[in-house]
Amino acid sequence: MTVRTTADLALESVTVVHGTGAARTTVLDSLDLSFSPGRLTALVGPSGSGKSTLLAVAGALLRPASGRVLLGGEDVVPLSDARRACVRRERIGYMFQSGNLLPGLTALDQVLAIGHLNGRRVSGLRDAAAAALESVGLAHRAGHRPEQLSGGERQRVALARALVLEPAVLLVDEPTAAVDRSQAAGLAALLGDAVRGRGRTAVVATHDPAVVEAADEVVDMAALAGGQRPRP
Amino acid sequence: MFLALRELRAARGRFALMGAVVALIAALVGVVSGFTAGLGDDTVSALRALPADRIAFSAHAGTDFARSGVDPATAAGMAAAPGVRATPLGVTITRGTTRRGVPVDVAAFGVDPAGFLAPRGLTGDGVVVSRGLADDGVRVGDTLVIDRIGLRVPVVGVAGRAAYGHVPAAYVSLDTWEKIRASSGPREYSAVALKTGDRADVAALDRRFGTRTVARDAAFAAAPGYSGERITMNSILVFLYLIAPLVVGAFFAVWTVQRTPELALLRALGAARRRLLGHTMLQAALVVVGASAVGGALAAAVGAALGSAVPFSLPPGTLLGTVAAVSVAGLAGSALTLRRVTSPDPLTMLGANR
Ligand SMILES: Nc1ncnc2c1ncn2[C@@H]1O[C@H](COP(=O)(O)OP(=O)(O)OP(=O)(O)O)[C@@H](O)[C@H]1O
Ligand SMILES: [Mg+2]
Repeated sequence: MTVRTTADLALESVTVVHGTGAARTTVLDSLDLSFSPGRLTALVGPSGSGKSTLLAVAGALLRPASGRVLLGGEDVVPLSDARRACVRRERIGYMFQSGNLLPGLTALDQVLAIGHLNGRRVSGLRDAAAAALESVGLAHRAGHRPEQLSGGERQRVALARALVLEPAVLLVDEPTAAVDRSQAAGLAALLGDAVRGRGRTAVVATHDPAVVEAADEVVDMAALAGGQRPRP
Repeated sequence: MFLALRELRAARGRFALMGAVVALIAALVGVVSGFTAGLGDDTVSALRALPADRIAFSAHAGTDFARSGVDPATAAGMAAAPGVRATPLGVTITRGTTRRGVPVDVAAFGVDPAGFLAPRGLTGDGVVVSRGLADDGVRVGDTLVIDRIGLRVPVVGVAGRAAYGHVPAAYVSLDTWEKIRASSGPREYSAVALKTGDRADVAALDRRFGTRTVARDAAFAAAPGYSGERITMNSILVFLYLIAPLVVGAFFAVWTVQRTPELALLRALGAARRRLLGHTMLQAALVVVGASAVGGALAAAVGAALGSAVPFSLPPGTLLGTVAAVSVAGLAGSALTLRRVTSPDPLTMLGANR
């Protein structure tokens, strides 16, 4: 048994049912899965196999119908909405497929905003935010607003924001879906750098071979579903 | 504070537009309030200036000086009643001509030169004019000619600004007033002004003399134009106070719907509901209070530009009250939309729905 860290992320018999009536679909069915700190895990699988849903459950955005989501050993499913929001802002970094940035704010302000949401003094975070932008290669774009950035640059700002407060867990959904091939490889490399040697747990849902290539582990949602016990 | 201000700056065009509307509403409220008070003063300031606390009218005259008539015996009887000081009052609106041939309207207030209503310097055959007539060029030493009867009255003093029914007041003795009134009937005053102590039994006086005594300020309503003007101005104010929250509410409803994606993002990133509410209220407060203050300043500027020629009165207290009331109305409007601020679903961040 290894020592438990705050970066431990595990799902225990998680079931998620979307929709009601005829549209009712069991997306995750008694899923057991744990992720290793310090490693970048790629979630792959066909469209609709539940990758985004898994990230939503793991990231305390969606409450499963049943099961436990253990974050640093604590089950976050039964927590109140307010406590789950607190878990999200304090312990998890998110990067979404698109729409990551707030309109009209500069790249630096986007990164500072996450500190503001955590009740930090923004003035005390400027150095860390500048360093985070630097680490994704965007020091020279700190004063640019979203509409002045390319798709790939926007995603890198989102990554800088996800990392600036050094969260234990990083959850990423299709980071390269709206980005061209050359940018995608760079982003994939940055994701790898963000995890390795930092004791952080990172999960990225992707269809992109470049991202899968950069990952340390690959979880195939289709195989998971197929490998599970048959439905009653 | 940080995000609220950054968002304000990013959407400054839209906020400036909304602020301009609120500022104009506040300015309009200020201007209408100024005219309400100014016109009100212009109508009843002569009554308000009377150093009396009650006025006795004849029984069926309501509070209308033109219809009321009180005979000298009644006035004397009231004056003799215990615990009451009483003095006759005559009120008639007439026309006159100044020494320079300028025609003027005059609200002639007939008072006993020795009684408590008399302005300083009033003599038995002279007239003390109020500030408004002095503005029209009437000076001490001039002669004011009362048109209809050709009566020549020497001007013996100038009192403060006082008007009745938009006509500047002039104080004359009761004898002079009788001549101005030019009635062929028996000698009669318009009303009796009273100073009553707490012990005075006003109802008993009314029973005894067949009069109807009201508080001085209750006599305002019958002043020419007073009620109509107040109803008009106050209904404008009521509508403005209804429009202000609706405009601000509509703006914030649209603003909130427009930034639903950002609110969903902030919720997904773990923003507390309280923080998002506070941040929206702060934006509303900054814009609404700031715009109301600008509107108030605008109204004050309008007042200053109008000068004393126009009946407009907007003292600092009223102005501050106006700014505060428009701010509160605007904030109430923005509060109507707060529920939507925390309703966007953070789950929409996942997948490609954006
Ligand atoms: N709100 C919802 N109501 C009903 N069904 C839903 C809802 N959200 C997702 N689903 C269904 O859940 C399944 C899994 O969706 P999910 O978005 O997790 O898949 P995914 O693996 O991320 O797909 P993609 O690769 O296209 O992003 C899909 O079949 C989808 O139709
Ligand atoms: Mg997906």
